[in-house]
Amino acid sequence: MVSRSLNKKFDKILAREEAGNLTSKTGNRSLRKMMNNRLAVVGLILFSIILFTAVFAPLITSADPMKINLRNMSQPPSWEHWFGTDKTGRDVLARVLYGGRVSILVGLGSGIISAIIGVLIGAYTGYKGGWLDVIALRVSELFMSFPQIILVLLLVSIIGQSLINLMIIFVLTGWGGMYRMARARMLSLREEEYVQALQSFGLSTPVICYKHILPNALGPIMVNITLSTAAFILAEAGLSFLGLGVPAHIPTWGNILNVAQEIRVLQNYWWMWLPVGAIISLFVLSVNFIGDGLRDATDPSQQG
Amino acid sequence: MLIYIIRRVLIFIPMLLVISFLVYGALELTPGDAVSALINPEVSGRLTEAQFNELREAYGLNKSFLARYGIWLANVFQGNFGHSLAGGVPISTIFLDRLPATLELSVVALLFSTIMGCILGTFSALKRGSIADSSLTVVGMLGVSIPEFFFGLVALLIFALNLGWLPVGGRLLPGYDSIWDRAPHIIMPAMVLSLMMTAGVMRYARSSMLDALSKEFIKTARSKGLPEWRINLMHGFRVALTPVVVLIGFRLPLLIGGSVIIEQVFQWPGIGNAFIAAVRGSDYPLVMMIALFSVFSVLLASLVIDVLTALIDPRVRLN
Repeated sequence: MVSRSLNKKFDKILAREEAGNLTSKTGNRSLRKMMNNRLAVVGLILFSIILFTAVFAPLITSADPMKINLRNMSQPPSWEHWFGTDKTGRDVLARVLYGGRVSILVGLGSGIISAIIGVLIGAYTGYKGGWLDVIALRVSELFMSFPQIILVLLLVSIIGQSLINLMIIFVLTGWGGMYRMARARMLSLREEEYVQALQSFGLSTPVICYKHILPNALGPIMVNITLSTAAFILAEAGLSFLGLGVPAHIPTWGNILNVAQEIRVLQNYWWMWLPVGAIISLFVLSVNFIGDGLRDATDPSQQG
Repeated sequence: MLIYIIRRVLIFIPMLLVISFLVYGALELTPGDAVSALINPEVSGRLTEAQFNELREAYGLNKSFLARYGIWLANVFQGNFGHSLAGGVPISTIFLDRLPATLELSVVALLFSTIMGCILGTFSALKRGSIADSSLTVVGMLGVSIPEFFFGLVALLIFALNLGWLPVGGRLLPGYDSIWDRAPHIIMPAMVLSLMMTAGVMRYARSSMLDALSKEFIKTARSKGLPEWRINLMHGFRVALTPVVVLIGFRLPLLIGGSVIIEQVFQWPGIGNAFIAAVRGSDYPLVMMIALFSVFSVLLASLVIDVLTALIDPRVRLN
């Protein structure tokens, strides 16, 4: 009785599989799980909106973010200038949109580059072990024993301020976390049986660790990229707010906020700093939502 | 146990030596005469070339790099951190001036965020899946997403500028140092700093509590017929607390880093404020010493925490 009903069930599944219904649905389980997570979807939508408005800034506003107009100083928001104008008459909306390009570039760029460096080193040394592993571990400990902002500011004071320097500094201070994660994953994955099989086939070390083991660690890596991107965007905003990040003539979210250090601006000209602060918060929030969604979606211990 | 502690200290010391070596190397590479890093620049400005060379001789500055590093290290150990390039103030004086302010801010923020974070996180874990839980999760996300200085600016606008309840910044006016004069100044920076940290502690406490509640001994406690509050508090919370306390121990030194920007927003006269001023003014000796100090406190805290966890949890020792 039981076996017959089971047979029926299997027949049904078989039929569905042959009709191609199942394969399309199982196409990407992580993606499907991600789409079921409401916060992650909200995050994805917010992220895309802000990203698109920054990328297609010229289509949204015709104003020039750098153009000074002394006849139009400190104007409150109007139909012509949605976010008003700043103390030198520059359109704040245009500055926020164009500034988004730089801020997102710095955040995402440093996040991805530090991930690549961290993973390349962590995967190889973690798999290989030995003295290379010990050296890499000690170097990463060296970097991680500084509080991050202190190390960033220390490096800023040594190598000076510029867009490229800031990204180099972020990568230098950010690769350690990713390296640790990749190495830890490697240490557990390298004991798997399929790795021994590959070794016995005589595959070279880089092929085994980058081509065969690394894809198994992709989930945590993606999560880590999103979280470090969020952290770098916050760090850029903080540093530029202090006047120690991206040079002041380049509009970035942090540089726009810089004016709020003046009590007069803080009190009387809310449109110069409040909207951009809200946009930074929303953007970082969306990235964090995506990161959380990715974590849930790629975590094999959570079925769905 | 003793062997474990010794082993742990043996890792700590070389790490500190390597970092101090790097810091000294960076100090030598940065502009500024080596003599001026050691003695008051106001004095050194009036010296002739011959006197300068004599001083170099006396301080051993014409020795090899390694020997100079040794002398510098010995000086640092004796509490002689050199002089700031701005005004020639001894760096140790700056530390003594600024450290209490930063510690005061950090301790208040840490206490508040720990208590709030633990309460909210535990509550969230007990009401898992409820509306309160998910809204706390979202609020926690907001807490880690809003730039702390922006949050500070908004607070400044509302409570100091518009309502006028709290002072705009600073710590205390000279001559007014009772607790009632102090409290209004610290409220805003401490709250802003701790609200940001509460989010982190809350998330951690929640997962730690959920972890503890899924353990077997909770089932045992329940099957004994203990009341629910007793199970949650005496059995669950107590176990969940240990990792949270460890996390908080790690945060204490990080607060020196974490409060840098907030100190700037509220003009709080702490180490962070001095650090920013030093970075802006290319005051390398001060920058390096504050960095070295922050590394020292991070390493020391992690050493203490490792020893403490080893005392609590015998499994750690055996590894």
